[in-house]
Amino acid sequence: MRNFTKTGLATTVAIVLSGAASAQDYGSFEDYTLRVKLIGGAQYEPLYTLIPEWEAATGAKVEILSRKSHFELDREMKQDIAAGNIDYCVFSNHTNFAPQYDVMTQPLDGLIDADTIAAFSPLVISHATVSGDLFSLPRHSDVSNMFYVKSLYEDEANKAAFEKEYGYALTPPETWAQASDQAKFFTDAPDRYGTHFAGKDEGITGRFYEMLVAEGGVLFDDNWKPTFNSEEGVRALNWFVDLYQAKAVPAGTTNYVWDDLGLGFAAGAVAYDLDWAGWAAYFNGSDSKIGGDVGVALAPKGSSGKRTGWSGSHTFSITKACDNKDAAASLVTFLTSQNAQMIEARAGLLPTRTQVWTDVIAEFKADGNAFMVEVFDIWGQSMADHAFTPPLIAEWGEVSNALWPQLQAAILGDVTAQEALDKAAKEVSEVMEDAGYN
Amino acid sequence: MSKFSRAIRDHAVPLALIAPSILVILVVVLLPLMFSFYTSFTNYRLIRPDTLWDWIGLRNYQRLLADWDFWVAFGRTILFLTVALNLELLFGLGLALLVNKITWGQRTLRTIMMFPMMFSPILVGFQFKYVFNDTIGLVNNALQSLGLTEFAIPFLVDRWLAFFSISFAEIWMSTSIFAILILAGLFAMPKDPIEAARVDGCSNWQVFRHITLPFLMPFIFIAMTIRSLDVARAYDVVDVMTGGGPAQRTELLWTLIARTAYDDARMGRANAMAYASILLSIFFTWYFFRKLMDARKHLGAF
Repeated sequence: MRNFTKTGLATTVAIVLSGAASAQDYGSFEDYTLRVKLIGGAQYEPLYTLIPEWEAATGAKVEILSRKSHFELDREMKQDIAAGNIDYCVFSNHTNFAPQYDVMTQPLDGLIDADTIAAFSPLVISHATVSGDLFSLPRHSDVSNMFYVKSLYEDEANKAAFEKEYGYALTPPETWAQASDQAKFFTDAPDRYGTHFAGKDEGITGRFYEMLVAEGGVLFDDNWKPTFNSEEGVRALNWFVDLYQAKAVPAGTTNYVWDDLGLGFAAGAVAYDLDWAGWAAYFNGSDSKIGGDVGVALAPKGSSGKRTGWSGSHTFSITKACDNKDAAASLVTFLTSQNAQMIEARAGLLPTRTQVWTDVIAEFKADGNAFMVEVFDIWGQSMADHAFTPPLIAEWGEVSNALWPQLQAAILGDVTAQEALDKAAKEVSEVMEDAGYN
Repeated sequence: MSKFSRAIRDHAVPLALIAPSILVILVVVLLPLMFSFYTSFTNYRLIRPDTLWDWIGLRNYQRLLADWDFWVAFGRTILFLTVALNLELLFGLGLALLVNKITWGQRTLRTIMMFPMMFSPILVGFQFKYVFNDTIGLVNNALQSLGLTEFAIPFLVDRWLAFFSISFAEIWMSTSIFAILILAGLFAMPKDPIEAARVDGCSNWQVFRHITLPFLMPFIFIAMTIRSLDVARAYDVVDVMTGGGPAQRTELLWTLIARTAYDDARMGRANAMAYASILLSIFFTWYFFRKLMDARKHLGAF
């Protein structure tokens, strides 16, 4: 009877909530087929299970033309732009890459009502704005903070040995200098390394970029001349070089990208991991070797006192060529609604609506999930106070591609950090010159 | 009536019959080639369609001449081609000779031998990326379990080990092409000269060196021509295993060109690179065809 009452109550709450969600008027687009290209992958798919609800509410149909990884979709859209073949209305976008699709992107101001936009975090909306135009509506954000193996940091023998060797107490690192000490201390190769980092593609560019900012440097000056080959840049790059040369990271880290890092940390291969919030539930869950033994902390500070916080948001945009922009705006609004964001937030993805932060934390508290409450607390602070995007320019991808092979060359010891950054700066100058910046 | 008009009138039917093929070739091959050649003289960037008309003359080619990374990738591609083709030939020849000796289960073995060719290059790339991984890789785990090494060997990081790893994957995938073509040559080979040589007292090595191998050379050069074109545009396996890295240590022409074209969206520059790279394919095709003709002449085929 008690169970029945509980179930009945839950059902009532669910009906009320779903009633509230569907109460919003998404318009009527009977018999219209909305063509879309969406990012695919395990963490993005659950949201798309809501699409039939939008179809039922509006009478429209959604035809998904592509469902690919970000990099595959990026190539496809560049080809669409080149071929002038933009016969779809909605596409998955990312704040850091949105400027390169500007010729095909319809600004959303006027299409999405001001009240809806006001419900989003102002910082994230500013990241989604390019040259004064709102280019996309954010579905979830990304920023990295520290995950660490708690038992290693709580072990009394470790604490004593660390303090004896380094002269200060062993706690999750507050600065990147401490993080470096701890990575070397915890290394017990080949069974365990101190840490690892994304070593190729935009992964290493982003990690270097946030370290550069934390060291007080900047990528470009006001005239878009590269300035990352500065003293701060060398210090930032040498953080990675030093750990690699000290063998405190796996030798293969220069080939690692996100999945290698997430799976490696979950396998207990490293002591700490700077990673995205989307991994949190998996790291501490039963499929992970370190499940129940994971601690979280804010990303450490660089020597300037600023924390690292390379960030961006996955978003939805509308094409200029769309023949029914109201239907497209309706779907984009629906997919970034409170109800939709709750689904992604429950999995650990960072919401972009301020109310969802409050509601999902309340839900985790009600479920007694103290770990996820802590995760959202840490990542909430990070998004509010420390997150920053790369320069929002169409050339970010090219800049990154000029940088990362040189960063790798320095990390592997082929050249010094200064030589690597000088060479990258020369290539980036050429990219910017070709793009008409100087 | 001019000679030209007469020739057209006399051959009207054959010309009409081949006209569709010529049209298809023009549309499918020649026009894209001309278009891409034109773009190599522009600042064409995929994300800025209007740059298609931004004529910059020889700037892409001038920059290419001074681009050390491009020429290193060019040289590495030649080395990769040389290593892969020679080892594939050696292993393929060995396999074919062994399989040719088998009298029972040869068909099954021939089918098994072709398995690697049936995998998509992307899957082969993932397979060897896993095999050579430094932490979870099969080879490293086996070596450590057997006590042969205490440390992870960075197969996909070290300059020469990474080159070895991508070569290994390429050779594993394509040796059977050589083996099958050489085996076809062995099947087609007349037995009389071999029997005559044995009657004359030739050793096995002499029979192989002076009768079998010369007969197989045309088959070998056909395989070489096909594979040289394949390897010169090697992309999938390398892209999956190393992406041309780390630090461009395994960068080949097409990993560099694809990144420039699509990730950087600099299609004009990428096309200039591609046209310079085609020289490599043309050279190897010309070289192996010349060798093929020589080998056939040697056999008295002409």
